[in-house]
Amino acid sequence: MLKGSVMVTFPFDMKGSYMYFRILEKDQVSTFIEGLAHVYEVVAPVMRGGGYSFEQVRDGSEVELDYPLTIIPPKKYFVRPKECLFRYDSHSGALDETDHEVSPRVLFGVHACDINAILMTDKIFLGDYVDPYYKARRENTLIVGVSCMPIPTCMCNAWGTGEVSQGCDLFLTDLGDRYFVTCQSFEGAHILDTFAKTHEASAEDKQALEDHIREFSQAFREPVDTTQLQLLFDAKYNDPMWETIGDPCLSCGACSAVCPTCYCFDVVDELDADGVAGCRIRCWDSCLDSQFAEVAGGHDFRPTRASRVRYRFYHKFWAYPSRYGKMLCVGCGRCDVACKVDINPRRIVEALREGESK
Amino acid sequence: MRPTAVILSLASDYGCQVQISNFPEILEMLSTFDLGYWQFVSSGDMPDAYEVALIEGAVTTDEHVELLEKVRATASCVIALGACAATGGIPGLAIAGPVRGQLKEVYGSGEKKVGAGARKPAPISDYITVDFTIPGCPIDPAELSRVLQRAIRALVDTPQRQSMCGECKIAENMCFWLAGTPCLGMIARSGCNATCVSRGRPCTACRGIAQDANIESAYAFAAQNKCDADQFESLIKIYNAANEQATQKAVTSKKTAQEVVS
Amino acid sequence: MKKTHVAVDSSQAYRELKQNPYRPWPARITSITKLTDTETLFEFRLIDHRVRERFNFNAGQFMELSVFGVGEAPISISSAPSKKGFIELCVRNAGAVTGALHKMRCGDIVGLRGPFGRGFPFEEMKGHDILMVAGGLGIAPLKSLINHIHDERHEFGKVTILLGARNPDEILFRQQFDMWRHRDDFDLIMTVDQPDETWDGEVGLVTRLFDQITVDPLKTIGVICGPPVMYRYAIDEMRKKKLSVDRIYMSFERRMKCGIGMCNHCGIGHQYACIDGPVFNYWEAMNLQEAM
Repeated sequence: MLKGSVMVTFPFDMKGSYMYFRILEKDQVSTFIEGLAHVYEVVAPVMRGGGYSFEQVRDGSEVELDYPLTIIPPKKYFVRPKECLFRYDSHSGALDETDHEVSPRVLFGVHACDINAILMTDKIFLGDYVDPYYKARRENTLIVGVSCMPIPTCMCNAWGTGEVSQGCDLFLTDLGDRYFVTCQSFEGAHILDTFAKTHEASAEDKQALEDHIREFSQAFREPVDTTQLQLLFDAKYNDPMWETIGDPCLSCGACSAVCPTCYCFDVVDELDADGVAGCRIRCWDSCLDSQFAEVAGGHDFRPTRASRVRYRFYHKFWAYPSRYGKMLCVGCGRCDVACKVDINPRRIVEALREGESK
Repeated sequence: MRPTAVILSLASDYGCQVQISNFPEILEMLSTFDLGYWQFVSSGDMPDAYEVALIEGAVTTDEHVELLEKVRATASCVIALGACAATGGIPGLAIAGPVRGQLKEVYGSGEKKVGAGARKPAPISDYITVDFTIPGCPIDPAELSRVLQRAIRALVDTPQRQSMCGECKIAENMCFWLAGTPCLGMIARSGCNATCVSRGRPCTACRGIAQDANIESAYAFAAQNKCDADQFESLIKIYNAANEQATQKAVTSKKTAQEVVS
Repeated sequence: MKKTHVAVDSSQAYRELKQNPYRPWPARITSITKLTDTETLFEFRLIDHRVRERFNFNAGQFMELSVFGVGEAPISISSAPSKKGFIELCVRNAGAVTGALHKMRCGDIVGLRGPFGRGFPFEEMKGHDILMVAGGLGIAPLKSLINHIHDERHEFGKVTILLGARNPDEILFRQQFDMWRHRDDFDLIMTVDQPDETWDGEVGLVTRLFDQITVDPLKTIGVICGPPVMYRYAIDEMRKKKLSVDRIYMSFERRMKCGIGMCNHCGIGHQYACIDGPVFNYWEAMNLQEAM
């Protein structure tokens, strides 16, 4: 992932036959993080005001790798909640896009669902058109994943997003007093060898890994049946379920804000006090806002709350998969926590299926 | 030639004007105008002609109404400044009963000497057309700056329609309701980045009720979370008692919420 | 129909666009023609000559117009692709950006990004009869197509244009079309809902004009653009004339904010007006939730 960054400045020598699997003792994690922090901006989950959030850390002891869920997913490090795309001079039209923040960064301790979500937004921002801001940050970010145990709102088992087959540089699986580390990239192996004290995985460690995997898959509340979801969606597109579920929507946009796969944004202009220079600002947006699909002149293509809620899930369960073959949901359960009126993918899936399984 | 601006007060505590004076960048911004009158600092009279009028405070007397009508006839752009002007704000609480009765309660036998021409408190938009609204108690200086920029360019107001929770999540706050504390974020007009919640206090909807707000649904949610309709309504009324639409809606939604509970 | 996302151009300017698709090119307003009370035709010239020389597009594509300090709005291109060096946009004064544009003067600077979207399949339309139905502002993107067809008139069969507006004052480009009524290479019929004393054309909805025309369904391609309510009726009439569903093209208005399929504001069902449209054929539209 990392191209032309500052980090590959010293020769990297694989020690003999390099083992793909390594063991990192938990008491070594702080040293690892602090070592990384000398070269990178390290972003890791920390406890803030009763919740967890990804923040820049320097002190390894602050980091809470055994966290249930952060309030906001790591998407904030690729598309900022509010960012200036470029500055302009409104009289001459001259643009300036020089002051872009792109620092080599390590996202440390990202759950599998969030890593999969980043891969999904990659498809959008690095597709036919490339978003240069996203690309720059993405290429300068290393991702260290960490294993987790499902909490009641989790449903990654429905989408197969509880595991990572690509998209991170290192992945740490919690084996109690130590982490089982898998290296997925050259850069991942490099930072591990440079900044962490590790040793080879023994047969016992591999057994413990297998136990963990079994334990993880058995820890889910219940399986979620997602068979033929698109077809069911078509069949129930005009079903009263959308009114029942969607009408109580508070139109607050909390679900979109916390969703790791929601990437909608709005672009607005702001002017400096002098009234000449200004900046074009991109900010996160939500399709549940009544302005979202309104065109100049006032015609609104989604005038009701129910229609907006339906569009949100239509995009996740129909539109995105029709293009990229995957559902645009990783089952992290953040919206389940954030929504006050119980609008969440699990309920939608169940409502779409109701009458079929019973 | 610079356009002339005036800053006026109706029923308010001048807090938003203090807020203006607190921020050098706002004062700089205001220097784009010829500041013809600023009630907070001027001792002179209002000029006869001006383009922009910033009005702080709620309408509570006949005199206020006369002033407003005069301002509207003069200014090409009227800006409501702060919660009192935008929603009736704290003065709006006096809408609860007959004005005279309340004056009597406060001033006892002296009641007749005060409150000449008193009216039910109201936001200024109840009496005149308002071009821009800068809500909040107190106002956010950055928002004032943005609005003034739009006013200079004769653009239209683009009020935030969404309620606060989305912004509050972006600020990575834990929800007050999870800890059992009522908070009005779910119906409050967004735009302040959930500043109170970020500082550890629940939202009081000082920015008014969001256009997209689903008040019925909010009452139902509150009721399910041990905040009955009366309690929830009293919270809304702190800043939005005079907002007839919001309270009217509240009355009907209170009924629905009670149905939900029963 | 093949998806032509942007006009194909391997030039440096195009690569620059690809590098930062959010970056508008400065452009100067070179001419302003008031068409009606609310619509104005603006002509722009891109300031950077490298960009200007290589700029090309298909009829039906749109530009993102920036008024710096106010914002951006998607506007379909009205000039023909063959008109080099200038870009014409027919703009209705309806929102913040278009309102600000209407206050600008010749020589003022705006920003332009584009062209974006899939336009009309011009090459595939060649050799066919063309039947166009336009209502109100819907003529703006069709003007580009009409002028393009005009430039290569010999490539097309019969060209029929049915043009509707609320009243004679609201007919865009009326002068040009008044003259065209007397041409024999275009069959142009205009109608208004509310005629005035000067009006000598038809009266009534644009769909009533179908009684007056003959259509060879095997040879004809239909094109529709107008206010949201018009589509359903115009399609019904074209279907009555036995046009195949995949030979009826229409352009949709949505809130294209980024123009590049990212921001999601212009979603129509599972597609985006900005990269999959704004031109869809009826078969595609039939399979789009919330299209009509």
